[in-house]
Amino acid sequence: MIRKTIKKEIKELFRDGRVRISIFIVLLLLGVAVWISSRQYQNTNQDYAAARLSEREVWDNQGEKNPHSAAHYGTYAFKPKYPLSLVDQGVDKYAGTSIFLEAHKRNEAQFSAATDQTGLSRFGDLTPDFILLFIMPLFIVLLGYNSFTKERELGTHSLLKSAGARGWKIVLGKWIALFLPVLAITTSLLLLAGIVLSNLPDYGVFQWSSLVAMGLVYLLYYAVFTNLVLWVSHWAKRSGISLVVSLSLWIVACLAAPKAASNIAEARHPYPTRQEFAANVLKDKEAGLDGHNPWNKEAKLLEEQVLAEHGVDSLHQLPFNFNAYRMQKGEEHEAEVYFKQYNYLKEQYQKQSGTYRSLALLSPFLPARFLSMGIAHTDYATHWDFSDAAENYRIATQKFLNDNTAQNTKYGERGYKASADFWKQLPAFDYDPPCLDKVLENNSSNLMILGMWTVLSFILLFISTKKI
Amino acid sequence: MIITNNLTKKYGDFTALDQLELSVKEGDIYCLLGANGAGKTTTINLLLGFIQPTSGSAFINQLKVEENPLETKRFLAYIPENLMLYPSLSAVENLDYFSGIGGKSLNKSQLEGFLEEAGLQSGAFHKRIESFSKGMRQKVGIAIALAKDAKVLLLDEPTSGLDPKASNEFGHLLQKLRGKGVATLMATHDLFRAKEVATHIGIMKDGHLKQQFVASDISLSQLEKTYLETMDYKTLVS
Repeated sequence: MIRKTIKKEIKELFRDGRVRISIFIVLLLLGVAVWISSRQYQNTNQDYAAARLSEREVWDNQGEKNPHSAAHYGTYAFKPKYPLSLVDQGVDKYAGTSIFLEAHKRNEAQFSAATDQTGLSRFGDLTPDFILLFIMPLFIVLLGYNSFTKERELGTHSLLKSAGARGWKIVLGKWIALFLPVLAITTSLLLLAGIVLSNLPDYGVFQWSSLVAMGLVYLLYYAVFTNLVLWVSHWAKRSGISLVVSLSLWIVACLAAPKAASNIAEARHPYPTRQEFAANVLKDKEAGLDGHNPWNKEAKLLEEQVLAEHGVDSLHQLPFNFNAYRMQKGEEHEAEVYFKQYNYLKEQYQKQSGTYRSLALLSPFLPARFLSMGIAHTDYATHWDFSDAAENYRIATQKFLNDNTAQNTKYGERGYKASADFWKQLPAFDYDPPCLDKVLENNSSNLMILGMWTVLSFILLFISTKKI
Repeated sequence: MIITNNLTKKYGDFTALDQLELSVKEGDIYCLLGANGAGKTTTINLLLGFIQPTSGSAFINQLKVEENPLETKRFLAYIPENLMLYPSLSAVENLDYFSGIGGKSLNKSQLEGFLEEAGLQSGAFHKRIESFSKGMRQKVGIAIALAKDAKVLLLDEPTSGLDPKASNEFGHLLQKLRGKGVATLMATHDLFRAKEVATHIGIMKDGHLKQQFVASDISLSQLEKTYLETMDYKTLVS
C-alpha cells in the first residue's frame, strides 16, 4: 500500500503543471546559485593566495631593520575561504577577511565583502544556502499543501476510507512521495558542490564527511517541514486554508523567528559600541605598563624588580637590553587587556548564541542555520577562533621581535638593525579551523533541538493522522 | 452478507435512522428507495464504518462493523453518487492504486481485463480520468469492485445523473455482479432502475424502513403508487 501510494503521489505531482514549473524554477535557481558561488569562491581564493604570498614576500624582504620598527610596520593574517562556504556563506560576507597584526594593538578583521558593496547588497545574494534554507521549505509547502485536502475536495477520500486503507500507511506513502523530490534536489546540489570542490585547486581540505553531515542537517530540516505541511493539510478542510496556514508557518519559521531572535538576543545581551570598547581598552591599558614609556609608574616598578632579580644596581649591567624587555612586558600587558576586553565580547556573543538556541525551540530554521554555518566554517564561532589564532600569532610575533632586540643589544643602545635574513625565521601564520567532530560537539544543543523538532513533528503527524 | 439489527443513528434530538432491520444475502440486490433525508445514505455510512451507530449493530460477512472497521472493508466495495477518481491518473492507474490499497497486486493485463469486464472501452484504459464522463467513472468503480473480488457492494445514488444508456449499462453490470454472488445494497431515487435490477426493494421515510418487497412480486406501477403513498404524496396518486 505504501509503495502504491508513493507511486500514485509521484505521478500526480509530476503531472501537475504547477509542480513541474516549481521544480524547474528551484533547479534553475540552484544551478545559478552554485555557478555564482563557485565563481566567487574561486576568485576569493585566488585573491587570498596572491595576498598571502605577496604579504609574506614583503615581510621576508624588509632588509636590515630594527625589529620594533618591523613590529609597527606589521603584517596581515588572512582568513582562508573554506570549501563548504561554496554551499553556505554564513556570516563571511560581514565578518572580514584579514586582520592587521601590529605592535601594541589587537585589530578587528577588516575588508569584509559587504563593505566593498553598495547598499543594494542588503537585498542579499543568490547563494545555495538561500535556496536550501528558504526556497526548499517553500517548495515543500507548494508541493504538499493539498496532499490530504485534495482527497477531500476530489471525493477520493471516502473511496480511500472504504478501501480499508490504514491511515499511517497512506501518510507514510504521501510523506515519502513528498520527500523524494526534495531529497533528489538536495542530494544533486550537494553532489554537484562536492564534485566542483573536489576538482578545485586545494585551498582547504575538502572532506566528503562534512558535506554528508551538512546534507543530513538539511534533510532533517526538510523532514520537519514535510511533517508540518502534511499535518496542516490533514487538519485543514480546504486546500486554500492549508496553503495559507502552511505559508504562515514558513514565514514565521524562516523569516520572522530568525529576525526576532536577532533582536531579542541583541536586546538582552548587547555588544558595547565601538567607542565604549575603545574607551575600555584605553582605560585598562593606562592602568598598566606602557612599554614605550620608561617614566611610567609600572615601568619604574618593573625596573626595580628586574634590578633586584639580577642583583645589579644599573640597567647597563643587565645581560640584555632592558628597553626591549620592557617593551615585551608592555606587549604582554596590552595582550592581557585585549584578551579581557575581547573575552567580554566573546561572552556576550556566547550569551546571544544561548538566546538563539533557546529561541530555536520556536523554529527549526535556527538550529539548521547554525549547524550548516558551523559545518561550513562560516559561522561566528569559526571567525572568533580565527581571530584568537591571529591574536596568538601577533603575540608570538611581538615576542619573536622583542626577544631579538633584547638578546642582541645593550640598554641604551640605539640604531640596532636585525639582519635581512632574520624575518624569514618567523613561521608563517597558519590557521586550521575546528574539525567536524569539534563543530558537532560545539553545536550539540542545535543538533538536539533539530532532532527534537524532527521527532516531535513526526509524532504529531502520525498521531493526528491515525484515522484518515 | 449484510445484516443490520436495530441500527439507529441520532444526531442530538434528530433521529437519522431508527431501528433498521435489514438483511441482504449473497446474490441479492436490495434497493433502498426514499426521499432526501430518509436515512439511505446514513445506512450506507454506518455499514462503511464512516459513522458510529447510536445503538444497534451492522454486520458485513458476519463481522460487526463497529468492532472490525478494517476487516469488514476487505469484503466490500463502495461507489458514491459522484465517484471521483484521481483526474491526472488513467483508468488503469486508478484501478491499480485502489486495488493495491485493498491488498491486491495485479499486472497490467489483469487490470485491463477488469476494466473490460466492467464495460469500459479499451481506448479509454490509458486515458486520464479527467476526460471521463460520470458513466465511465462508474464503470471504473465497478472494475475496482471486481478487482477487489468484493462480496458486498454499497451504492449511493449510482445512477443519478447518468444518461439512460449509461444507466442501462450500469444495471447490466449489477446483474453481472449478482451472478457472481455479490450482495448489493443500493440507495436510489430511481424507481424504474430499482424495479429493473433489484431482487428486493425497501422504502424508507424519516429514518424508518416503511415497506419491503420482493421485487418480482410487485409491478412498476404498484411500486410507484406504494412509494408515493408512503411518502404522503397522495395528490399525485391517480
